[in-house]
Amino acid sequence: MLNIFGWRSAVLGGLIAVMLVLPLVIKSSFALEILIRVLLFSFIGSAWNLMGGYAKQLSLGHAAFFGLGAYTSTLLQIDFGISPWIGMIAGGLVAMLASLPIGWLCFRLRGPYFTIATIATAQVLMLIFLKFRDFAWGAEGTTIPNLGHAPLMMQFETKAPYYYIVLGLLAMALLITAWIERSRIGYYCVAIGEDEDAAEAIGVDAPSVKRKIFMVSAFLTALAGTFYTQYIYFIDPQTAFNFNVSIEAALVSIVGGVGTLWGPVIGTVLLETTSALLQSWLGNSIGGVQLTVYALILMAVILWRPTGIMGYLAEVYARRRIKSLSLPAKA
Amino acid sequence: MADALVIKNLNKRFGGLHAVQDVNFRVRENETLGLIGPNGAGKTTAFNLIMGFYRPDTGSVSAFGQEIVGLRPHQVCTLGLARTFQVAKPFGGMTVLANVMTGAFLRDRRPEAAREKAREAIDFVGLSARESAAARDLTTIDQRRLEMARALATQPRLLLLDEVMAGLNPAEIDQAVALVGKLSNRGLTIVIVEHLMRAIMAVAKHIVVLDHGQKIAEGSPKDVVENPEVIRAYLGSGYVHAPAGGPS
Amino acid sequence: MLEILAQAVINGLLIGGIYALVSIGVTLIFGVVKIVNFAQGEFVMIGMYISFFLATQFGVDPVVSLVVSMPVLFVIGVLIQHYLIRRVLGLNDLPQIFLTFALSLLIVNLALMLLTANYRTVHTWYSDKVFHVGGLYIPVAKLIAFVLAMILSGLLWTFLHTTDLGKAMRAASQNRDVAQLVGINPNRVFAVALGIALALAGAAGSLLMPFYPAYPLVGQVFVLMAFVAVVLGTLGNVIGALVASLLMGVAESLGIQFIGADSGLIVVFALLLFTLAVRPSGLAGGRRR
Repeated sequence: MLNIFGWRSAVLGGLIAVMLVLPLVIKSSFALEILIRVLLFSFIGSAWNLMGGYAKQLSLGHAAFFGLGAYTSTLLQIDFGISPWIGMIAGGLVAMLASLPIGWLCFRLRGPYFTIATIATAQVLMLIFLKFRDFAWGAEGTTIPNLGHAPLMMQFETKAPYYYIVLGLLAMALLITAWIERSRIGYYCVAIGEDEDAAEAIGVDAPSVKRKIFMVSAFLTALAGTFYTQYIYFIDPQTAFNFNVSIEAALVSIVGGVGTLWGPVIGTVLLETTSALLQSWLGNSIGGVQLTVYALILMAVILWRPTGIMGYLAEVYARRRIKSLSLPAKA
Repeated sequence: MADALVIKNLNKRFGGLHAVQDVNFRVRENETLGLIGPNGAGKTTAFNLIMGFYRPDTGSVSAFGQEIVGLRPHQVCTLGLARTFQVAKPFGGMTVLANVMTGAFLRDRRPEAAREKAREAIDFVGLSARESAAARDLTTIDQRRLEMARALATQPRLLLLDEVMAGLNPAEIDQAVALVGKLSNRGLTIVIVEHLMRAIMAVAKHIVVLDHGQKIAEGSPKDVVENPEVIRAYLGSGYVHAPAGGPS
Repeated sequence: MLEILAQAVINGLLIGGIYALVSIGVTLIFGVVKIVNFAQGEFVMIGMYISFFLATQFGVDPVVSLVVSMPVLFVIGVLIQHYLIRRVLGLNDLPQIFLTFALSLLIVNLALMLLTANYRTVHTWYSDKVFHVGGLYIPVAKLIAFVLAMILSGLLWTFLHTTDLGKAMRAASQNRDVAQLVGINPNRVFAVALGIALALAGAAGSLLMPFYPAYPLVGQVFVLMAFVAVVLGTLGNVIGALVASLLMGVAESLGIQFIGADSGLIVVFALLLFTLAVRPSGLAGGRRR
């Protein structure tokens, strides 16, 4: 037993060490960009996973929170000169607050209609920000004034600091997920995801649990929005509330394994690698290639391995364990 | 002894179907009440009404002196009522232990304490050997045991059992009857819905009979079995004049 | 003023007919197969491209090309049911939702890849013609679309209520297990439901061509309308979907007329959110609990 624990900790420790050292070793800006993208979407996917993977509340509207985070920090920064570090937290809080009315509305529907309602929410927000130029620059958006090297304003001249920030965000999301998994609310989430009525019958206050996990998920997603805006120095409604963000958040978790700790990370690595390869083969000239491939991967996973990569690995591991312990697989 | 559950003038319609009509009965603390009746009589609906899954159109349900109509199911459970479902609803992707822990968390939010209490409940129903199995991999009977363990983990004072013995062989029925007896000895109040006469007679001294949503008889097992209304409901009017013990 | 109002209502009703074809398909699939078809709009798009192809290559009028687009889409529907949907029935929400969602993503992006994002239009001899009735303008193309949409809806209703297969579908919609017990083959019923729903979507596409451009993302707008109409009209209720679609067409049209040219979507969303907040089970649904 101790052997197994030692092995796992060693791998994890090694992984952490590698991740911390990577930017010092890799000098290619392009490679760092890809890594940052992978870490960012692992983070967004992990945030989605809490709601969609564990509690099975399948939102396709998380872009709403991404955008709210992005706009909150940008508005505070440009209109009031407030540092995006603070703006990031503020954005998270705004998203948390927004998740209450959004949740109240959307949770009234179950299943696919919940999903549609979440899509509609993100679209409505995009429309609002597109239309109302007075408080947020309308359809054109705005760029963030480039201050050169300004760590207090979350601006850097090399990619490495961004890498560490998003790595930190991902680590935080993973720690939060791991903690939730082992705690009461984690069990309650999974129970609700499996059978909400049965959960209620054993004392689970489903609406309250859903609200809470939605708030956490929204908060984290908003942080990503702030980070991304700082990273690309630009914001507009199409980018901030982009449906593709909602899609990818869900996609990486499903492909990697919903309701698992590492699922979103593995899913992101797979999808982003595929995407990068496609880009290098075909360039950007043909529209729709990347999403076509994503769609095919998603369909393949759903039809053959709905539990995703992590789910498949877990099954293989469980079968091996049963064999080695000579237990009957089924009574 | 005080009343654990008082049902007054309970009514529920679903469109044109009057599923529960003016039902009245009371269950004393630590009593085991048998709720019987032909299929479609309204027994499961009554459970759903008690637990708060449906809201009655009229009537009152009070548990341990407190009115519970209008409360959500999880609030009813917190007050000390728990139920099993006629078709078991396990959390398929979770292990047996995790399933029952979810119930145990109601009374203690610490994972270690919940784990301990869950193990006790699992042991009580005899499922310890399957503790790490995925709930969806269990046999139907084991899933019923899981339902019961999960309900017990919430430390209820009143347990609603919905046809827990359906499909069991005679040996298993005896085990189940013994289990219900053990629960009663621990002080639990039990309302049990069953179709198996001998099982009901073995556990319940007080029986309520429903038919088409209405209470048609109440009393001791002997009274109920000889009641012409009950015979008519189950077997049809042709059997009403048959001597007790079956048609000649 | 009254004329403007009447004109807006007319415009709304006419396009509402098209929305009805799309939403009836969605509600039919949901009622019978219990699955939400996120890709319904894409089949409208396919119908449009089929008609575009026939019109530009063979000079076939789009409305006439219904006789091609509808059967083709019917077959596609049956194939999708057989090879894809059947495999996720009985699974939980995630595979069911994301399968049709992935299908939608796939079709849109394949279209983008193969057909490019360019707008395609078909100009018929009646594309610009307008009837003048009283002081009202009724575009001929839209009127034809509306009339045919209503005819098709009527045919569907007749099918559902008079033929054995139609009744089987309604039975399966109401209680799948009992339907199976009386000998109704669910897979066959589902295949027909998919086929009909997609055929209606294809019809909508063909009817749209004389006055609406085809492009890969065109389906997304219609499917959104359809979903709102389905929720509003109560899930699974065909007549509800029809009535709600007409209502939504009118609401959108009134919004465009009186609030602003790009307010159509906002009106639709407002309707959706209002329905969710006040009566989530739709106009014909009962109360929860």
